[in-house]
Order: sequence, then C-alpha cells, then structure tokens
Amino acid sequence: MTEPVLHVEKLSKSFAGVRALDDVSLDVRPREVLGLVGENGAGKSTLLKVLAGVLRADRGRIIVRGMPVSPVNVVAAAAAGIGIVFQEQAVLPNVTVAENILLGHERPALRAGFYDWPRLYALAAAQLDKLGAKISPSAPTATLSFAERQMVEIARALAIEERTRHEPIILFDEPTSMLDANGTETVLEQIERLRRRASVVFVSHRLDEVLRVSDRVCVMVNGRCVATRDRAMCNVADLQRLMLGRELDAKYQRQPLSAHGPKVRLSVRALGRRNSYHGVSFELHAGEVLGISELAGSGVQSLCRTLFGAERADTGEIVLDGRSVRLREPADAVGLGIGYVPAERRLEGIVGGFGVRENMTLAHLDEIRRGPFIHLAGERQVVKSWIERMRIRTPTADTPAHDLSGGNQQKVVLAKWLVGRKLKVLILDHPSRGLDVGAKAELFALIREFARAGLGVLLVADTVEEVMALSDSIIVMKDGVVSGRFPASAAKPSRLQILERMV
Amino acid sequence: MTRAMSCPAAMTACVAGIVIAATPAVAAEPICDKSEIRLVNSMREIAQPYHANLDKGGRLFAAWAGLKNYVLQLNQGDSDKQISLMRLLVAANPRCTVFNVEPNADLVVKPMVDAANRSGAWIVTHWAHNEGLHPFDGNDHWIAHVAVDSLEAGVAISTRLVDAMGRTGGVVALQGRLDTDPARKRFAGLQQVLQHTPGVTLLDQQTANWDRTAAFPIMQTWLTKYGGRIKGVWAANDDMALGALEALRAVGLAGKIPVVGVDGIPEAIAAVEKGEMVATVSSDAYYQGSIGLAMGTCVLTGQVPLPASWPKEHREFYLRLVVITHDNAAQYLREPQPETYVGDWQCDKLWSRSTGKAF
Amino acid sequence: MPATVGLELRSWAPLLALIVSCVGFGLAAPGFATVENLWTIADRSAIPLILAVGTTFIILQGSIDLSIEGVMAASSLTFAMCVLNNRTGLDLGLFSLVLATCAGAGLGLLTGLVTACLRVPSFMVTLGVWSASMGIAMLLSGDQPPLIKDPMLRALGLGRSLAVPNLFLVAVAVVLLGYILQSYTRFGRYSMVIGGGEDMARLLGLPVDGYKVLAFAFGGLLSGLGGALESARIGLGHVDVGAGQMFATITAVVIGGTSLGGGRGGVLQSALGTLTLAVLTNGMIFVGISPYAQKSVQGALILLAALVTTWPLRSRLRIVK
Repeated sequence: MTEPVLHVEKLSKSFAGVRALDDVSLDVRPREVLGLVGENGAGKSTLLKVLAGVLRADRGRIIVRGMPVSPVNVVAAAAAGIGIVFQEQAVLPNVTVAENILLGHERPALRAGFYDWPRLYALAAAQLDKLGAKISPSAPTATLSFAERQMVEIARALAIEERTRHEPIILFDEPTSMLDANGTETVLEQIERLRRRASVVFVSHRLDEVLRVSDRVCVMVNGRCVATRDRAMCNVADLQRLMLGRELDAKYQRQPLSAHGPKVRLSVRALGRRNSYHGVSFELHAGEVLGISELAGSGVQSLCRTLFGAERADTGEIVLDGRSVRLREPADAVGLGIGYVPAERRLEGIVGGFGVRENMTLAHLDEIRRGPFIHLAGERQVVKSWIERMRIRTPTADTPAHDLSGGNQQKVVLAKWLVGRKLKVLILDHPSRGLDVGAKAELFALIREFARAGLGVLLVADTVEEVMALSDSIIVMKDGVVSGRFPASAAKPSRLQILERMV
Repeated sequence: MTRAMSCPAAMTACVAGIVIAATPAVAAEPICDKSEIRLVNSMREIAQPYHANLDKGGRLFAAWAGLKNYVLQLNQGDSDKQISLMRLLVAANPRCTVFNVEPNADLVVKPMVDAANRSGAWIVTHWAHNEGLHPFDGNDHWIAHVAVDSLEAGVAISTRLVDAMGRTGGVVALQGRLDTDPARKRFAGLQQVLQHTPGVTLLDQQTANWDRTAAFPIMQTWLTKYGGRIKGVWAANDDMALGALEALRAVGLAGKIPVVGVDGIPEAIAAVEKGEMVATVSSDAYYQGSIGLAMGTCVLTGQVPLPASWPKEHREFYLRLVVITHDNAAQYLREPQPETYVGDWQCDKLWSRSTGKAF
Repeated sequence: MPATVGLELRSWAPLLALIVSCVGFGLAAPGFATVENLWTIADRSAIPLILAVGTTFIILQGSIDLSIEGVMAASSLTFAMCVLNNRTGLDLGLFSLVLATCAGAGLGLLTGLVTACLRVPSFMVTLGVWSASMGIAMLLSGDQPPLIKDPMLRALGLGRSLAVPNLFLVAVAVVLLGYILQSYTRFGRYSMVIGGGEDMARLLGLPVDGYKVLAFAFGGLLSGLGGALESARIGLGHVDVGAGQMFATITAVVIGGTSLGGGRGGVLQSALGTLTLAVLTNGMIFVGISPYAQKSVQGALILLAALVTTWPLRSRLRIVK
C-alpha cells in the first residue's frame, strides 16, 4: 500500500452558516482515479475548489506527497501540482485557444518577452493532441462549440504536466455533464490515459461513468466522505443507496400514459432556419412529454430557441393552441405562455445576484402584483410553497442564487416558469444536466406531475435512457432534420432503435 | 445791486451759489469704506494673452488705488458658470463689490445684471449684450456698458486686408464663437468691405471658436483645397490669426500672405512689426480690465454721483479702438506702464476714451 | 500572428467605412483626392493617432481614460518651458520631449496606481487627474503662455521629411509599436484577457493590477508625447492644446471597433477609426458644409459608422449598454 499522493485531513468550510465541508478526510493514491459522488450540496464541488486554490478552507490540512500545502490561489495549487477542470466553463472567449491553454505560463514560448506564436501553438497543440481533439490552437475561442471549449479547459489542466517535476493531480468537476456521447467517450478515454502518469479525482453524477473509470469511489454526504469502495466491490445501486441512505425505487419510470386528449398545444410545421435545421414538423399535445433525442450539432438547441422567440425561423409556421403565432422576441413567447429552461443555467437561467425569491417570480410578476406594486406578502407565500413543493435546499428564500448548488439552481429556474398560471408549453433543454440521481428523480416526477395537469412539455434530454423513461412520444433529430419518430401510440422503442437514428 | 440786498445776504447768496455750483463734483456720501471694496474681474480664461492682460490691467488698478481685495473669476467658456460664480460671490457683502465683466456670450449679461440689481452689487459690462437691454432703463446697479463697435473693428481690419492684397484675390475667414456679438459683427464688417471690393472673393469660412489649436488644421486644409487662390487670411481674433500663421509657416508662406486679427495681443503686435501680420485692432485689454473697476470704485467712494443720475451716454458708450499696423506697431510693443492709464482712472476722466453713445 | 487580428467580417467594417468615406468625399469634391490632401489628412491625424494607441490598451482592459486633455496640457507647458522659449532661460532641445513625455507617464502612473490599488473606478480617477493636470498646466502657464523659439523643434512640428509630415512619421512609428505590444507581448495579450474576463484572470493568478497600472502609464506617456508634439507644431505651450481630444479619441476608438466594454478591438482598429474621423472633418470642409451644420453632420456620420461597425454583432438577445 503506497503512500497517498494527496491526503486531505479534516477539511472544513462554511458558507453563511451552511456547512459545505464537515471535517472531510480522504486519500488519493498515486496513479489512481478516485471517483467522487454524492447528491447536490454534498460538498463535492466545494472540496475540489478548496484543493485547487479557488476557495480557502476554514480548518484542516492538505498534504501532497507528505508535504503540507496551503493553496492560497490557483497558481499556488498548480505549483503544488494540483490542477482543476471546472464544471462551468472557465475559458476566455476573446483570445486564441493556445492562449487559454497556456494562460499564465507562456514563458517557454517567449523570446525576450515577445511571443513566439508558432511555438505557443505547438505547445498548445501538444496538449490538445493528448485529448485527440481536432481543434486549431490559433482559433479564436469564441468560435468554438461548447464541447470544444470544454476540451480546451481540460487541455489547460493537462498543461500542468509540463511544469511540475512530479506527477500532477488533476481534479475534474463534472467534465462530462455538458458533453454528448462522443465527447464523454473522449474525456473518459483521456482520464484513463492520464492514469498512467497522474492521479485524478473525478466528480460526476453519472454513476455508470464513475464506475467505469475509477479505481475507488468515495461517497460524500453532507460534507463528509461517508464511504469509500473499490470499484470491483460495488455497483450503481450500492452507490445510490450510500448517497441517499435509502433505496431509490423505480428510478424515473415512465408512468403509464394517461390519456391525453386530442388537444394539440403546439404544432410546428416545416420550420426551418438556415444553417441550423429545416423541415421540422411535430405536434405536442396537452399533458404530453415529447422527448427529443439528439447529438451535438443536430440543431435542437437552435430549434428550442426559435420556439422561445430568441431566434427567428426562416421558413415554416408555429401554431399555439390553434393560432398561428409570430414570435419576435422572448417576451412574446412568455406572454403567450411558453416557458424555456435553458441548457446553460449559469449564463441563461438564473440571475446570480438575485435571491431565490426574486429569481422565481421574475418571469411572472403579474401573478404577484397589485396594481404597480409587487405584493410582497403574496410573493413570499408563493415562493415558500414552491420551495417546499420542489424541495429546494436553500438557507433562506433570499439567498443569492449563485450560492446554491447546481441542482437547486435548476429547480429555481423550473419554478420560475411554473409560477405562471397560464403556462401552456414548457421547453426543457437538458434540464437534468449536473443534477445527481436523487435530484433528477425529483425533477422528473415534478415534470410528470405538471404535464398531467395539462402542460405540454418539450424535453431535450441528456441521455437516451432519460428520453425513453420520461417521454410519451419521441422524435430523433440529426443534422438538422427529424430522422426518427416514435409517437405515443406506437410501441415503446428500444435503445438501439433510437441510437441508430441519432448517429 | 439794490440797497435791499444787504452785504451779508449777498455773501450768503454767493457762498450758496458756489456750493450749489460745486455740488455735482462732490456727488454723494461714500457707500463703502476703502477697505471694504471688493474688485472682481469676470472673464473666460487666463491662458489667452488678451485675457491675461485684462487681469493684469485689473491688478494694476487695484495696486494703484490701494485696494487689496481683488478677485479673478474664470468660467472656461461656460456661460452658466460665469453666472453662478457671480451669484456665489454676491451672497456675501454685495454692497461693496464691483464686477467688471467680459461676457462669455451675449446672453449672460441679463442674468448678471439682474443678480446685481437684486443683491445691491455693482456691475460694469463690456463688448455686447442682447437687444433692448440698457443700463439706463432702471438698472441702477448696472453702472455702465462699455461697448465695442465690433463692426467698426471688422471693417477696419478688412479694409487693411484687401488693401494689402491689392484689392484682388481670394480670402479665407476664421470666425469666432458663432453665438457671440463680436464674432458676428466682425464678420459682418468683412462682408461689408467685400461688398465694396468686387475683386476680392470669400473662398471659405469656418469657425475655430477663438482657438489657435483649432485654427491650425482648418488653415492647413484650406491650403490644400484652395492652394494658390488664397491671397489673404482674415481671423476674428489674434489667437486664431496666429494659428493660421503657423500653418502658413509650415508651407513657407509666413509673411507672404497678409493676415489680420483682432485683440492687439503682444504676440500679434510683434507679428505685425515683423510683417507677418498686416493689422490688428486693440481695444486695449489693460483698459478694459480696469476701467470697470475704476468706475465702480469712484461710485463706491462717493467721488461720483450714483449712476442713476448720469447722462445716458455715460451709461452706454463706445470705446475708442486703435488699429495697429506696421506704421505704429513699434510704440505698442512695449509693456504698458500704469502711468499710461492713471489718467483714465481719474473719476472725472472716466469717459476719456468714449467715442459717443452706443444706443 | 494571433488569429484574433484576423479575418472576421466584423473587423473589415472600419476599413470599409474609411474607404467609403474617402470615395464619397472624393466624388463629391474635386481636390479632395489629391496627394497633397492626403498628407494634410495624415498631418491632421498624427496626434489623434498617438493618443488613440494609448487609449486603446486602457479600453481593451475595460477601463477608460478621461484625462487625456489635462495630461496633454501639462506636458505641453512642461515642454514649452524646457525648450528655448521666451519665459524661462532653459534650452534643453530634444531632451524636453523626453521630460514632457515622462511627465505624462508620471500622471498616468498615478492614475493607474489609484485605479488598480485603491480600486477607484477609472472613470472617476481620470476625471480627477484631468482637472488636476489642467490645474498644473494653468499654473505653469500663468498669464503668459511660453512661446517656443527653438527652430529645430518647430521644424519637427511643422516640417516634412521626403514629403511626409514629420509628425505623421512619429505617429506611424507609435502605431507600429502599439501593434507589436498588442500582439507580441504579455502586456498586450493580457490586456485582452483582462478585458474579456477579469475575474477569470485573477482566478488564474495573473498580475492584473500590475498590467492595469502599466496600461495607464503607457496611455499617459503617449498623451504626454502628443501634447509636446502639438506644442512644437503650433509654437507655444497652451492649456487648450488638447481641447476636444478626449471625445474625439474615444469616438475614434469606438468607430474602429474597439468595444468600450473591453476585450475586443485593437490598435489597428483604433487607427482606422482615427483616420476615418480625420477624413470626415477634412472632407466636410472640402465639400463645403457650412460651419453651422458641421456638428450635426459629424454626429450623424459617427452614428452611421458605429451602426455599420456593430451591425454584424446584432442579435436579439445581445446586451447593449
């Protein structure tokens, strides 16, 4: 049993009275991949941030290769050999990929203080090659897709390898949650490769992924590591039980389909937008969950934004409750009763500085106002009931939204739309991204509940499993067109059937 | 004389007559003690030589009159600021304060006169004001308005310009701030002269806002556009003229093309002497900067009667202008001495440079 | 060469605006499109170009510099009083240029330290420095602005070398220097980074404060240089030597495509904007637009240029401040 390369001893950290880390202790052995799992708010992200120097612990010790270190900032942590790949993107859009990868460490590519661009590109390319990413180092980062930017961020963490004498410790904070199947595959391969010369701590909600690449898995609950298991000794169900303290029955089973009337809530006819999608037609009934399965680049994101009024279609028609509508801007959509939960929560879903209460009632102030004033007591009541109903974990109703964990933020975003009483259609774009199993289950139960009440739900799900489990009917999109259709009336499709229409 | 008039009666009558006759000379009770008198010069800025000399004139007077309290108010071209600076000062001890004002724009005169009337402070204005406004229309605290016939100035320099051009060729004109009377009237003077000089045409006119730095690039562009067609340069003030002169110097034309301006600042007089400028007009900044203060002091010390009793042409009059050309430039080159002005500051000689009523 | 200076459609818009203006004026007025006028425009744009380079780095970082005119005034007076002049007995020749430039750099350094270390918003700090340095200039000027008598320096300001105005040569050198700094040094690249994501930059441990101070010092240095050179041209040290330059510089930088929010644009873009503005002012005189209407026309043309530059960026959800 070799000495651990990273030893965390009784680390504690509190935010505004909430104990995020509670005397947590764990070890990372050399050249091992340690998986870190837990519910939202269990402290996984916080632990990684403390190790990487983004946050400072209140108490406790961090020991790297027998030497205590105190990473006061990211540079100090990098000098100690600890690098991190963030969950929410930390790349700068207005400089080149190479600059992002080597930010702060350009010295090897400088000659007398002047940039040797070919050398910089070469150094960056070396990192990108490790990932097998086909990204040009000289490309402006703003032109990259979301997944490609994630690669760049991973490349930046990998660059630590070049600078430390010892093997680095790389922390991955949910690197795959934003990626599709291809991207995920690449990252997991890379983590496997890293194992040969680094130690990795890998946080993810996808328990199957964690079990696939990790040597050991540590389960965190309420700020401490309650159990560590070898990969061979447990399975997904075990982990779930450890995380939640209970059996999770029937995951998010598809409820037997309630007869939803013939009422068509949303009808899309031959919708097209140049360079994104074309000829898209489908019907969404009241009470139905229509799942869309897709890979990155299929045009679904653009389609969702069009249905919400944030982008304009070039051809086709949108019909809501029998009336053809023209959506010039999101406000039109909101007014007509269309809600949209965006994929990039931090950027597009919440107003970080606002409290939970303000975020929730933001889109539907009409519901809580009397004349020109906001009826504060009424607002508080509404918010309180939603917090309870959706089990949003927040210290108070006025806690700034950016202090909540990802899953709880997502619940706030959802609540924002559900507050509106005349909501007709809800578009969910990768809603369970970054949510742990428990939160996901809750979320989907809620979605089912609201669908049954007459809402039409358009769901773009993360995985095929989700789509299959949640949806009444399914359409598959690929390269901008609808490549497969599985209406509710037909038999439930198999995973394979869906997959083969996606690729 | 009849036997009815006794000697004592006659004597008394004589003395009374002499006293009555002498009354106008001893006008009033002093309103303020000399130590209380506060002199204020309100002008645009101090960086331009014209204004610098206004200030110098004021200080010369204060020193000569033995008055220690001299205040300079600069508004940097901001009309609102000029007005509010005055209002600020009259909040305390207005009775003994005299304002000598170079208005930033015509429209500041009325608000400032109103402020004086209301507070009891005293004000003398220069240059020009809006139509229909006069000191003698019940504005008892508006001691006087020293008008400058900007039309006369404009005509004077324009005449000398076209003469120097041989009465033929093209002229370019740099205007002052377009919302001021001097700018408009001087330009009117040019237009008047051009009307009578068919051989000379106005090629172009732009405003450089009295500023040398702005005049330079405009002149530069004109030289490119009109080239050899420019035979004369007209500027509404010396600062702009000097800016244009530098542009001419850059292409080797300084001294070869006649330039005229207004103000009579030392640099311009030197240029006239050298032959690089043809003419400038002086209203005598030292005089303008001091005469208002002198008038006010005479009123406050009781050496002249209150302005309300003055004849109209003493309340509003034109100031004599001096045209400076190569012939007389030399005598104006020297730094003026206080002795030159003491005569004008005497309370009985306050109107010695008046050329007549200005209304 | 970093790709960000490259071939996005957006970055062609300022060049297009410049070409369109030139062609437009050339067609509207004979005499505009001559070599001689070209040099006139070049000469007129020399000082604004120098100022624009300095301001660009500050704006790239997301800050702003309102103190240009004050710094120019202070350096103008310093310069005029150090060369052969009619007020002081000094005759320091070219060294005065160095002194005046250093004065500007010093004021910029002060601005930078207060902004970065005391965390006062640059808007406020530079307003204060504007007044303070203007005050210094007025004190130095007193009641008699110093006239410059040094013939060599006057020739520098007014003269030409091989038909090209000297000041324009200096400006081109400054623009080149600015471009090299922007594209090939950490100062330049980190300025972009700071403008694009200051939080990120701090998180990753970049010495953000140091580079902010450097940007302001560099801006002050160039403002100082501009003030001194302008004085050499018009022949005296004058507090109004920079009158109107602040708005003109910021307008030029924006027309060129450098965003006031930071993180986008560059030295070459600002140079294009400056040239466009100079063409506009010169062109209006050529076309014969009356001075009474010029301000309105100028405003309209600037709006048009800004529209053209930002048109490709418009999207329904883009935030415009």
